[in-house]
Amino acid sequence: MLTDLYRQRALIGAFANRDFATRYRSSILGWAWSLIQPLAILVVFAAVFSLVFRIQAPDLGNGEGSSYAAFLFTGLVTWNLFAGLLNLSMTQLKSNGELLKKVQFPAWAPILGASIVQLIQVLLELAVLIVMFLWLGNVGWTWVLAIPILVGTALFAQGIGLVLSIINARFGDVMYIVAVVLSALYFLTPVLYPISMVDGQNELLSLVVKLNPMSWYVESMHEVMYSLVAPPALVIAALLVGGFLTFWAGLAIFNRGSEDIGELL
Amino acid sequence: MSNPGQDLSTQLAVDIQGVGKRFKRNVDRRNSIKERIVRGRSRKPEDFWAVRDVSLQIPKGSVYGLIGHNGSGKSTLLKMIGGIYRPTEGSITTDGRVASLIELGAGFHPEMTGRENISLNGSILGMPKKEIAAVTGEIIEFSGLGDFINDPVKHYSSGMYVRLGFSVAVHMKPDVLLIDEVLAVGDEEFQRKCFDHLYALRRSGRTIIVVSHGLGQLEGLCDEIAWLEHGQMQEFGAPTTTIASYLRKVNSQEAARYPEVTAVRAEGEEARPGDQTLRVRTAAIVDTAGNPLNHTETGSTFQFRIGFTTSEPVLGPNVRIALQHESGPLVTMIGNHRLGFDLGTVSGDNVFDVALVDNPLLPGRYRVHIDVFDFTGSRLLDSWNDAVEFAVRSQSGEIGQGFVQLPAQFRLG
Repeated sequence: MLTDLYRQRALIGAFANRDFATRYRSSILGWAWSLIQPLAILVVFAAVFSLVFRIQAPDLGNGEGSSYAAFLFTGLVTWNLFAGLLNLSMTQLKSNGELLKKVQFPAWAPILGASIVQLIQVLLELAVLIVMFLWLGNVGWTWVLAIPILVGTALFAQGIGLVLSIINARFGDVMYIVAVVLSALYFLTPVLYPISMVDGQNELLSLVVKLNPMSWYVESMHEVMYSLVAPPALVIAALLVGGFLTFWAGLAIFNRGSEDIGELL
Repeated sequence: MSNPGQDLSTQLAVDIQGVGKRFKRNVDRRNSIKERIVRGRSRKPEDFWAVRDVSLQIPKGSVYGLIGHNGSGKSTLLKMIGGIYRPTEGSITTDGRVASLIELGAGFHPEMTGRENISLNGSILGMPKKEIAAVTGEIIEFSGLGDFINDPVKHYSSGMYVRLGFSVAVHMKPDVLLIDEVLAVGDEEFQRKCFDHLYALRRSGRTIIVVSHGLGQLEGLCDEIAWLEHGQMQEFGAPTTTIASYLRKVNSQEAARYPEVTAVRAEGEEARPGDQTLRVRTAAIVDTAGNPLNHTETGSTFQFRIGFTTSEPVLGPNVRIALQHESGPLVTMIGNHRLGFDLGTVSGDNVFDVALVDNPLLPGRYRVHIDVFDFTGSRLLDSWNDAVEFAVRSQSGEIGQGFVQLPAQFRLG
């Protein structure tokens, strides 16, 4: 199953190429939008949550105070990777429907192609995050651990995205349900606030936040990038393997569900 | 169904064995979760078989045509061969790479240039990058798009769009090429190029499966034709005989359905060119006994009956009947002066009967334009465009090529 992905890399590449070339083609600022958007959100959120809600970020790993903006952006990059892949994957079957109805090719190819372009966007955001931390002088070897964490996040999101895309091709409602669930999940993930804030609060709420897999990915990113602390090796391994298994299962479900995709769309 | 004339050792490109495809009727599809919950699973899905019990062996290097009415299952069968639909029952085995020309330029992205789309479309059709690069020049050349190839395809005219789509599809060098109703694209010159290319593909041993309503085109292109009716195989074999049986059925059905329609037309009082000293009033297609016809057949004598009135006696009028084929070309102009018939002085209400002996027109629809000049041929009395339209049907089932069947005779030695 996974070797199919490798065999069809040219096709996935062709779709990625198409999406890359056309993403911002009719806009003047082009790819600059992929940074302007998250940065604008960052500025607004940082202002509102640190000045109005007075959320206090934990101390930076270099011991020189704290930066809510850097803390927030670390979480945002991870969340955007997850939500971006999920949302994009979910709609790909429908937007490539005309093609899938007429030519036979693996239906996951346009989804994975679109995801590759989304990953480029995430890399750009990550570059900004790194510049931010360099500016703050908050650098550590633990940064290396961000690689398995982000790979795990991407695989996790892609696995879910593949399953959702199939369900969405059958039932158009799914898109809307997912939008609601995602925005709830956003607040149940420690992106805007440090996870320590839910301790001692409503027990159910605290439990939900801690059981939410995205909390693990985001919190681990906070640790390795912001606090410069290495989580236990078992956690990193679990995040990576968990992501991989989700992807593998998602692809298997997708392959079963997409056999009659030409008729479904 | 067996085909005794066929050598069993012939390599098959496509082997279709007892294939059927069942669709659930769209009316009862639970398309939203709410419906699923509220109404439960489909009570009794109304299934219908788009294709049933079809077996067909398509040899390598042949051109195979599929004909039948709309909704007869031709396109469904083609989609199953192309792997887009899975057969509900039976099996389809294909040998080699299959490419569908089901909709030209289906994979084109409007924002991308023609060149970028070539490589995208090539990848989607399953071609390795190297091969795409190797044929890109050829594709651009074939499409005749020139410098436009570097413009986004959203700026293309529809003609340019399909020309590029066709060029890409036929240059993918598939082992089996599936074509659905896209034979006639572009202008005359491009169409000719397309056909030349299809013949070249066939010569190089590739298999082509065509679905079309252009029976004439199919007759010239195909080695064998299969006729589907309500999803089932009616007949297959040599193009001429299969098309003939198909047409016999269509003709008899149509005659049964429209017994009263005849190709007769009476004019209104609209203004027309000419001084109207002679005005044509009616135009009809009639048999030799003068009974109105709804269509005529190749090879059988029929008449144009042209009713007219005059406001003053007209000396030796020159009546010209122009026949235009439905596809546009003027087939011929029949004039009494050129043929040496003098009608004498005509006056009052009367008719001209113009007999077309052993009708040489090939099957198709023809429009009739009538012009009447005076005996000098310089003064226009009346000109009636689109006076009447009539159909010529095939007697034998053969469609023929072009517009007319000339009275030729063949002899050996």
